[in-house]
Amino acid sequence: MNASDVLRNDRIELNLKSDTKEGALAELTELLYKSGALTDKEGFLKDVLDRESISTTGIGNGIAIPHGKSANVIETTAAIGRSAKPLEWESVDDKPVNFIVLLAVNENDKTGVHVRLLSQMARKLASEETCRRLLEAETAEEITAIFSE
Amino acid sequence: MKIVGIAACTSGIAHTYIAKEKLVAAAKELGHEAFIETQGTIGTEDELTAQQIKDADVVIIAADIKVGGKERFQGKRIVEVPTHIAIKSPKALINKIEAELK
Repeated sequence: MNASDVLRNDRIELNLKSDTKEGALAELTELLYKSGALTDKEGFLKDVLDRESISTTGIGNGIAIPHGKSANVIETTAAIGRSAKPLEWESVDDKPVNFIVLLAVNENDKTGVHVRLLSQMARKLASEETCRRLLEAETAEEITAIFSE
Repeated sequence: MKIVGIAACTSGIAHTYIAKEKLVAAAKELGHEAFIETQGTIGTEDELTAQQIKDADVVIIAADIKVGGKERFQGKRIVEVPTHIAIKSPKALINKIEAELK
């Protein structure tokens, strides 16, 4: 697969500034908004936080995969953020999060190739080895390459 | 053990697929065989065959929503868990099921 169809370098931030989950989600939402993926950033962020309130998106190994299925998404895509500071995320393994994959899904995009790509990216996060490599990646290109394997 | 199952989560984008991968990998590592169907936003994938279901010792439904096609498992031992259990500790889940089947 080619993750570069959904990942763009201007939607990957390797040095998140926030030290909270909410702050990190707002930073990533801003990246999506500035790069033209959203019609309304507050609306999108609310959809993401609503999803967070249902159950945890911290899938263990320092990774979280929050997602918004939202009418405020123009094109189905993802933003990726990494934080040097451990973020509290109520993860399944109770460990803090350093790597966030924020999926932005157009509410009406049910069969699109981009939704499929995001699901394939999620699938890769089941591997501890892949999680470790993502946490150690040094560039946006490297991250896109790992997801494209 | 031969395992079949279904994974399905609220949004049908992420947890469904992570749960499937974790269950299949854990089963393989523990010397079992697992076929997991995914019911996600993009529809049903890796749909279970009648033979796979017939041969199965147990059905694992890792889901946060109502899944479709449960009538296929009539007469089978069914274990239902939320997706986060399959994501958090797939090996412990399978070991527990195996112990209970004995």
